Amino acid sequence: MELEKADLCAIGAGQGANGPVLTLRAGMCGACGQLHFPITAYGCPRCGAEPGRVAEQALDGRATLLSFATIHSRLSPLITPPCVVGEAEIAPGLIEEIMLAGDESQYADGMTVRAVGVEIARGGTAVLACRFEPAEAAP
Amino acid sequence: MTVLRDMRPVYVVGVGMHRYQFASDTNYIHMGLTALRAALKDAGLAFPDVESAFVGCTGIGMAAGRILFSHIGWTGLAVTQVENASASGSSAFQLACLEVASGRREVSLALGVDKFGDQVRAVAKEGVNKLSDTATIPLVKYALLAEYLKKEKGLTAEDLALVASKNHTNAADNPFAQFQKPRSVADVLASKPVMGDFTSLMCTPRGEGAAAAIVCSEQALKRLQINGIPVRVLSSTLESERPQVGREMGSVAVARSVAQRTYHEAGITADDLQVVELHDAFAIEELLYTETFGLCKTGEGHFWLRDGASRIGGQCAVNPSGGLIAQGHPLGPTGVGQIHEIVQQLRGQAGPRQQPDARVGMAHMIGLGTIAIAHVLRRD
Repeated sequence: MELEKADLCAIGAGQGANGPVLTLRAGMCGACGQLHFPITAYGCPRCGAEPGRVAEQALDGRATLLSFATIHSRLSPLITPPCVVGEAEIAPGLIEEIMLAGDESQYADGMTVRAVGVEIARGGTAVLACRFEPAEAAP
Repeated sequence: MTVLRDMRPVYVVGVGMHRYQFASDTNYIHMGLTALRAALKDAGLAFPDVESAFVGCTGIGMAAGRILFSHIGWTGLAVTQVENASASGSSAFQLACLEVASGRREVSLALGVDKFGDQVRAVAKEGVNKLSDTATIPLVKYALLAEYLKKEKGLTAEDLALVASKNHTNAADNPFAQFQKPRSVADVLASKPVMGDFTSLMCTPRGEGAAAAIVCSEQALKRLQINGIPVRVLSSTLESERPQVGREMGSVAVARSVAQRTYHEAGITADDLQVVELHDAFAIEELLYTETFGLCKTGEGHFWLRDGASRIGGQCAVNPSGGLIAQGHPLGPTGVGQIHEIVQQLRGQAGPRQQPDARVGMAHMIGLGTIAIAHVLRRD
């Protein structure tokens, strides 16, 4: 099954509770030495270096969950409420908005979450979408 | 860098509006002309007196202003359409002010007019995906920030509802507001859940409408015998977002930076402000910006609100028009509508919404992307 956003993530090693573990595709700039996410075709967003100066760096997909909340209204055709969205630090200083698998009862601020590929339907086709889940199973 | 107060003085001499409303069959020409004719009447000017115009709109299409002005006289005035997302009207006002301040024109017009529905965001054509399908929805970012602040500072859902209740209650006395019904904290909390603690009445509605502001030079004041109460534009400041540092959103950081710069340019401090119209697309924003603008101490925005300091009659009336939450946010007109409110307040013509002894006011908008823009106005 194809990844929904293959420019952001790749299938990693291992299996999570909701699907295969994903790695995240970041960029390391050879000019300024700063990490950014995601890597793009445009170069370094920090210092403006040309794309050729940026090397892809795989992040392990583990992140620190900073805050989260449940969406109750259909804010976009792409989401089906209720669903949980959060902010997480995917690497030191890199904070990204993420989508969380399941309901909010299994999450807490500060916990470690990991990226997994969750099967969803897009335009009648099944794809693996990047979602985050608790990195460690509940005891 | 040359700032507005280094150039020749600019005065707002006429303001007008078409009521903000939910999407309707009303033509944009009708709304725009209504606001424009009201502003001309307010200034005591005729359309041929206007030498240039900046038209803020996001969803009507190319050349909206030129089509609109063809229905009020082919005067040959210079027309420029301005798109800066939610700050389109504010940017149109900025350009009109600079046009006069620089000496290029004597009388210039900022007109904001918009219809709901045709807006296309360039971020959709960026060619870069986001991890979350909600990453370009501002409401989600602010709801997450509210969740963080709830735990960090003791902010409550009631605080968010109090902002919305205040602004809806202000708008109840505003004939141009999209919502004109007082709402209690309980009403706000009981409205439709949107995300986290956010309910629908804590969020701006989408809609349509128009607002106009005419600015002129001191020479034009005399030549055209404009006798109204002159309101001088002291500063006009715009910046864009830098990379996020820590938990503070880029839009909040840039709002602080713009406020500090615009105070410096205007030669004032936050203590000099009696009235502020700010970007409260979501109630949490008003709490954040009252802190970042220095109206209250950092971390005390919700206490300042609870004390009534931001109510009409308080230390500094915040969003006496009803703000984006209740007056409405039709995008193109919003920033010019803020100027309309500040001018009415500084003239002492705001009726039941009048902030006593208002002499200095600030209008602040955020535009998607993110940019922040602020103008300080003073009654001379």
